[in-house]
Amino acid sequence: MSDALAPAVPLDTASPSDTDPPPAHRNPPVTATAPASGSSQRVVPLRNPGRWITSAVALVLLAQIVHGLATNPFYQWDRFHYWFARPVITDGLVVTLEVTAYSAVLGLLGGVVLALARLSRSPVLRAISWVYIWLFRSVPLIVVLLFLYNFSALYRTLSLGVPFGPSFWHFDESKLATDMMIAVVGLSLNEAAYAAEVVRAGILSVDQGQHEAAAALGLPRRYQFARIVLPQALRAIVPSYVNQLIGLVKGTSLVFYVSLLDLFGSVQSMGSTYPGDIVPLLLVATVWYVILTSVISVVQFYVERHYSRGALRTLPPTPLQRLRAGLTTLIVRIRRETAT
Amino acid sequence: MTHARSSRLLRALSAGTAAATLTVGLAACGSAASSSDAASVDNAATGAVTVAALANGAGTRTYIKVSEVASLHAELPASVAKGGQLVIGVGALPAGFPPLAFVGSDQQTLTGSEPDFGRLVAAVLGLKPVVQNSTWENLFVGIDSGRTDVGFSNITDTEERKKKYDFASYREDNLAFEVTRTSTWNFNGDWTTLAGKTVAVGAGTNQEKILLEWQAKLKAAGKQLTVKYFPDNNATHLALVGGKIDAYFGPNPGIAYQIAQDARTPNPTRNAGTYSGAGASLQGLIAATVKKGSGLARPIADAINYLIKNGQYAKWLAAWNLSNEAVPTSLVNPPGLPLTDS
Amino acid sequence: MSVLNAEARSATTHLAADADEPAPVAVEVHGVHKWYGAHRVLDGIDLTVAAGEVTVVLGPSGSGKSTLLRVINHLEQPTLGHVSLGGEPIGVRWHRGRLRELSERQILTQRGRIGFVFQNFNLFPHLTVLENVAAAPVATGLQRRTEAEQSARELLDRVGLGEKADAYPRQLSGGQQQRVAIARALAQRPGVILFDEPTSALDPELVGEVLAVIKDLAAGGTTLVIVTHEIGFAREVADRVVFMDGGRIVEQGTPAEVLDRPRHPRTQEFLSRVL
Repeated sequence: MSDALAPAVPLDTASPSDTDPPPAHRNPPVTATAPASGSSQRVVPLRNPGRWITSAVALVLLAQIVHGLATNPFYQWDRFHYWFARPVITDGLVVTLEVTAYSAVLGLLGGVVLALARLSRSPVLRAISWVYIWLFRSVPLIVVLLFLYNFSALYRTLSLGVPFGPSFWHFDESKLATDMMIAVVGLSLNEAAYAAEVVRAGILSVDQGQHEAAAALGLPRRYQFARIVLPQALRAIVPSYVNQLIGLVKGTSLVFYVSLLDLFGSVQSMGSTYPGDIVPLLLVATVWYVILTSVISVVQFYVERHYSRGALRTLPPTPLQRLRAGLTTLIVRIRRETAT
Repeated sequence: MTHARSSRLLRALSAGTAAATLTVGLAACGSAASSSDAASVDNAATGAVTVAALANGAGTRTYIKVSEVASLHAELPASVAKGGQLVIGVGALPAGFPPLAFVGSDQQTLTGSEPDFGRLVAAVLGLKPVVQNSTWENLFVGIDSGRTDVGFSNITDTEERKKKYDFASYREDNLAFEVTRTSTWNFNGDWTTLAGKTVAVGAGTNQEKILLEWQAKLKAAGKQLTVKYFPDNNATHLALVGGKIDAYFGPNPGIAYQIAQDARTPNPTRNAGTYSGAGASLQGLIAATVKKGSGLARPIADAINYLIKNGQYAKWLAAWNLSNEAVPTSLVNPPGLPLTDS
Repeated sequence: MSVLNAEARSATTHLAADADEPAPVAVEVHGVHKWYGAHRVLDGIDLTVAAGEVTVVLGPSGSGKSTLLRVINHLEQPTLGHVSLGGEPIGVRWHRGRLRELSERQILTQRGRIGFVFQNFNLFPHLTVLENVAAAPVATGLQRRTEAEQSARELLDRVGLGEKADAYPRQLSGGQQQRVAIARALAQRPGVILFDEPTSALDPELVGEVLAVIKDLAAGGTTLVIVTHEIGFAREVADRVVFMDGGRIVEQGTPAEVLDRPRHPRTQEFLSRVL
């Protein structure tokens, strides 16, 4: 503060190291606060003691919380350590990942199809898509899973053939439908409804002029969608869909309804066998979910960066680049401060 | 639209359906993680069933000699006899309820007194046991749909459930209060000591009825007893050690198991006193549950009575430390908890 | 026209010389009406643009100029009447004495022969300048990729933007973007190019460079239909000026006739306001 208010050197004997100010500047008596030469002086940054104090307080609080987490016996970190990579937990983790991966891909594909149907010129397709989205957004996922799980009791066989006509090929459904498949189908059906709205919003976010330009150039319809509209729509789709995906990761914890134990299901199951370890088990699940979400967020950052080509004049820096830049400015600033 | 064109459209549609189905089929290459089979190797030829395997301290691993009884097999409905297997439903997902049904100490196999008893019954009837673990809801939907033959899952016989199911009783409850070790409260059968307490209980259970009766009596005396419900044992346990509730009122075997498991943790618990599951009015019975009119209740009850008479029943209860819950005989559709509270 | 950008001016010399320049095509508009619901936008337009002719369409906003252009390349379907290009109907075909709608695929093929330059450029922001220009010839099967990129570079040179081939559109000024858009339209080798107010979205100092490129196209003998507000430019390049008002063609003729001696009061009023 004091630096900024009081110039280091008296005005009329302007520092000799500076480029000589033009005499015109010196002749009229200048007011005391006006700088001697405004041309190429570096501005001394404003000091902010308040910010330093709040930062310090925040850091102390954070340290206390971490210390509390580490030392409170309630969390039983030794048991956390025991459970963290137990086969039963990693098996559950694999189920979570498998179900999420399949459902994310199938859900997105279904969502694209539904979104295209919703935006198509056929009123029948539009209506079917609307009804599907309406239905699956209304029905709780648990009910969908429960229904699918007991589907085989309602329909013993699935057959291929002319609808309402003779069939050529029969499946015994209870053999076809593994628990994993039921879970994936259930989550995908549900996910597709939400993905459809995300994709539709993305497509609508593409400027009408882009559609017109593509049409005016006579680009084939498929090319218009795949190369012109979709890449631009993805810019809007990716963040929302990743959000959806993170919800899906945790949504998989409902798959115990189809007798499949994912990460959270395994934790619950072990919690009942080892009631003394419920808290560390819940922490294990939490840490795994934090890891999964973090990985997805990192992937999201780079995917978004990829699809922002052309939309921004310069790409945003990666976290590493930002960290490096931040450190450099900090070092420069510290050097400058210590020099004065 | 011409006829030829419409049939082509229909074919295209059905082909599309097929493609969708197959895609999904390819995607599903994972496997079921739970619903594993029996806890140990059962071989009908050896005439023995192992119970209380992988019990994690809740029981003592025991071989029980048992073999098919032809006359009981003859009682089975034709469809079950022909299939040669008994699908035993357990509703222990995602969280089990040890020692009755839970994932054992190998951290992957379903064990517990309930599936063990189902396997004993299957052995007497000369059927291959297939144990299916599912959620509580799916256990009943499974029985409704015919996916599951019989539920052995600590199911209480109630008049409400009798509308849809037949029962063959095999066990009674004893109840207990679980409190933290630091608590000074004890229960000696005098419900007035519950005044001012907050107690958790399982919804829709026999013990809930008992607790609610006490609550009503205390209220009449101008005192308060707060009753809390939690979705499963894990949540109840957390609430107890976290101080949200003063006590948990539940089945004695489960509470005994939790206390044993808790002993080495920073938040140990203890038993504050037991109470007969007979309650104030009626003894609640645990029963094997089959679809109404399936014809399975009678052969199962007869099989249980055979096990009682020949000593395997007592060995099974002893293996799981449940001897104080024995019934003298198995009944088909005994009087259950009445439909309404009043 | 004094603000002629240096790079654009240097591009002018080779525009006319190209040997494989497609033959210009005549445009005929036959009794076209266009309604949006009850709102009448075009009210019986008959217009013939001879091959190689440069026609400038003037008129107050809302007079239907842009809609007319969009009807010509079938971005809008006329409610009545039709447009033909070199004698071939656009978006429709004659069948047993009646006009029938073409499939979208056929319409897209026809559009490849009509260049269209938008007011807001509408370049594809996620593609580089080169990809913008080369996309259509590749996608429609006109050229192979290497061939198309080679031609695209030549076209970019012609509009003075050869060095910007690898930039993204948003890194360019408005005038540069519009010149890329013109190159993109040229890449399909159209027989006619339609310009929909090509300079209206530009800062005044960028207008010249775009008009210079259009002027060179005019000199090259391509059929051009230009909707614009640049009266001076119209006077300079137009073979014919068409004045529209209220969805009708009010008067047409040489620039001297329409701009200097307008006969219709609406034309007189419009010109007195803009000049």
